[in-house]
Amino acid sequence: MGTLKAFLSILLRDWMMGLGLLLLLGILFMAATATVFFPNPPETMIGPPLQWPGQYPGALLGTDGLGRDILSGLFYGARISLLVGFASVAVAMVFGVIVGALAGYYGGWVDMLLMRLTELFQTIPQFMLAIVVVAVLGASIQVIILSLAIVSWPAIARLVRGEFLVLREKQYVQGCIVVGMSDPRIIFLQILPNAMSGVTVMSTIMIATAILMESALSFLGFGDPNVMSWGSMIGLGKNNLRDAWYIMTIPGIALLVTALALNMVGDGLNDYLNPRLRSQRGSR
Amino acid sequence: MKPIRRRVPWAFLARRVLYGVLAILAIAVINFFLLQLAPGDAAEALAGQAGTADPQYIAQLRAQFGLDQPLWHQLWAFIVRLATLDLGYSYVFNEQVSVLIFQRMPATLMLMGTALTIAVAGGIVLGVTAARFANRWPDRLISLGALLLYGTPPYWIGLMMILVFAVMLGWTPTSGMENVLAFNTGWDRVVDIAHHLILPAAAQSIFYLAIYIRLVRAGMLEILSLDFIRVARAKGISERRLSYRHALRNAVLPLVTIVGTNVGNFLGGAVLTETVFSWPGVGRLMFDAMFQRDLNLLLSILVLSSTFVIIANLVVDLLYAIINPTVELK
Amino acid sequence: MIPHPPSAAPVLEVDDLQIGVRKRPAMQILRSVSFKIHAGETLAIVGESGCGKSMTSLAIMGLLPDAVERRGGSVRFKGAELPITDNRAMRKVRAAQIGMVFQEPMAALDPLYPVGKQVLEVIEEHEDIPRAKAWARVIDLLARVDLPNPEVLAWSYPHKLSGGQLQRVVIAMALACNPEVLIADEPTTALDVTVQAQIMRLLKRLQRDTGVAIVLITHNLGLVAHTADRVMVMYAGYKAEEGQTRDLFLAPRHPYTQGLLDATPNPDRLAAGGGVLREIPGTVPSISDPMPGCRFAPRCPRAQEVCRASVPGPVFEGSHGYACFNPVPAARG
Repeated sequence: MGTLKAFLSILLRDWMMGLGLLLLLGILFMAATATVFFPNPPETMIGPPLQWPGQYPGALLGTDGLGRDILSGLFYGARISLLVGFASVAVAMVFGVIVGALAGYYGGWVDMLLMRLTELFQTIPQFMLAIVVVAVLGASIQVIILSLAIVSWPAIARLVRGEFLVLREKQYVQGCIVVGMSDPRIIFLQILPNAMSGVTVMSTIMIATAILMESALSFLGFGDPNVMSWGSMIGLGKNNLRDAWYIMTIPGIALLVTALALNMVGDGLNDYLNPRLRSQRGSR
Repeated sequence: MKPIRRRVPWAFLARRVLYGVLAILAIAVINFFLLQLAPGDAAEALAGQAGTADPQYIAQLRAQFGLDQPLWHQLWAFIVRLATLDLGYSYVFNEQVSVLIFQRMPATLMLMGTALTIAVAGGIVLGVTAARFANRWPDRLISLGALLLYGTPPYWIGLMMILVFAVMLGWTPTSGMENVLAFNTGWDRVVDIAHHLILPAAAQSIFYLAIYIRLVRAGMLEILSLDFIRVARAKGISERRLSYRHALRNAVLPLVTIVGTNVGNFLGGAVLTETVFSWPGVGRLMFDAMFQRDLNLLLSILVLSSTFVIIANLVVDLLYAIINPTVELK
Repeated sequence: MIPHPPSAAPVLEVDDLQIGVRKRPAMQILRSVSFKIHAGETLAIVGESGCGKSMTSLAIMGLLPDAVERRGGSVRFKGAELPITDNRAMRKVRAAQIGMVFQEPMAALDPLYPVGKQVLEVIEEHEDIPRAKAWARVIDLLARVDLPNPEVLAWSYPHKLSGGQLQRVVIAMALACNPEVLIADEPTTALDVTVQAQIMRLLKRLQRDTGVAIVLITHNLGLVAHTADRVMVMYAGYKAEEGQTRDLFLAPRHPYTQGLLDATPNPDRLAAGGGVLREIPGTVPSISDPMPGCRFAPRCPRAQEVCRASVPGPVFEGSHGYACFNPVPAARG
């Protein structure tokens, strides 16, 4: 397992990536154990409202304006954030990879057409488009995942196209063409695996962006009204900005930690997968 | 001592304008079909807003808006209205949609311009500093700060800034664009607006500041390792001049492109910032339109914002060609 | 051949210069390098890549990379020691007293400024003269390096010029403030063969006009034969041999010099039945190799016990010096 060993050595050298992975595991743990630690749904009122952290024994991180446990909200919110982040990027990746691969592999008018379409979607302000999609299709987790996928795929498509343009000219690909391998085989089995490292790094960072965008939608009140999300917690907490600012501060920190962890992992992966770029981050 | 003038790239401009128009058209068509996806049509929505579900009234509205016509007919009418900037009437706000949007535009542009300026200026100064002290403590501090800012939800930063600077310290107002009740005029009004502008502009700039710092730092490190920097050093040029005149101007080229692509994201971010700070701009209007389910207004804002992004991208490309002589605009 | 009286003071003097990698005491890039050069003279420094010749030139300019430090020795310009580790102080020396021409003309200029501006920058940095006057000098300099139409060319951006034209601009930049020493580090390696000859002729002509001393760093012995007055051969951070070009080429004393000459195509020698090219066996030792003796000994056909035990000191026969215990006999067959 040479690659695993190399990966572990990078992890030891790059403490930032290690820390990022650790934080990410912590958040995954929260999402996985939400029902274990908090059998009641997070909307349950468990005590008096506006209890500061440490003030009320039943709620470690206090209660919100309706007497709901903030810590429970954090645990359940982690589920929503991770679900939306990973699912939307997964959908965006499937679509982006297909568009980018076709454009980069076939070139010519296919490339022209697909790239114009991609540019078109990049012209529309991302967050506004997400809002409009939610407005038109209604606020539910599925729609939010779809809307974030719609705004995320163009970046992946462009990246994949760029990789394909380069890889298509490589000797081994030309060899596959000469021996008469079918296009789908070449695209998905020969070129794509070699183009995945950049996509992996980018998707890690994009999960963070998607999580932040979901929280923003929920914060504005455009999220799924049936689930507890960190963004909606902040949105409700801002009404108590003056007298109980901890309500909006705590889920904000949770979001910050999650996004930070994903970015740290993304940076680390970048160093690991593209070692030639490493020097850019080092000294001259 | 006279430089050779570069000619105006008319062919490039013509092509780009044509492409821009086509892109706006395409976005409008996408919008049109998005609207068709919505449950119910505009007539039902309008009737709902008017507080009635009378089928006769709805049918009358349908005829009035041409909603009883075939789809392609509706599409054509929609495009014609768009071309004449007739975006319809908002019954929610009792105003022409185009008037509504253009009234709100200056506030958003002011917010965006200030935020962008802060982000670019801060990004350059901090990025160059980080690169000049690469892997020493100023760099580590700046890079860590950039990483933190990059992961922070921008609207949450806005709230925290309100909490700290407006509520706790009382340095700035909590929200709004000006103190309307003070009836300020002239210079007093400018100062008042500036006072209100500080927090939202700072809040909106932060995320982009983080990106620009990282970008400038990486670019500077790359450029500083190039041959021509060593040659310039051999000319006896000072390190400061080397950093700013030679390295920075080269390192800033990718920044120009990124800022161009970020203009669209800035507009999206404005929805959040303007909502948090009750800033009376297009973003806040969009939030209100969403809240009131005024779909026509919502989509009009989207189309106009995209138009703005297309213009901004063209300006950025021209700017890029001006500072980078190796680029030929074709 | 030598235009200076033997008694004249040298314009540049490098004395026992030692350079190593910072925080790595075992890594010694220059072990001991000394040489002098007089006004109007061309000294060629030759050797394989990695022998330290480029590091020597960077040290003289005070342009050593951050990862590298001076471990001893000195550089003197007209008798005064240069503060080569002080970046700020060296700024006044660079271009004003010692100019430098680099190997890669295509990458030597900032792509965002017209070439004339980049020459102007040198003058403005070192001299306090009106801009119009400085610009006139830029045009004059571009004309002197044989660039056509200098008024127009001064406003061209680097990507519009050829490699040969760019190298002329770099030479104009290096000579803009009339330095007394010009270091040319592989100035023609990246250019076409026909352009190489033009650039070297240009350098020699400018030297005749201004009396500038040229340190020519190269691995091209053919170039050295035609342009240099004296030659210094370096090997693995040491000076192996030094002498008048003619003496050194006709009667090399250090086995390494002879190896270099034997490995160079030479029509004269072939015509005289000198045989085919011979390469030097083995490779250059690592800079951190702590061998006690002559660093060439492992590859040397004449190596003896003493060569592997201690480092040979320089032996001088007139102006011809070499560092070898068992030199090639002076009379060559």
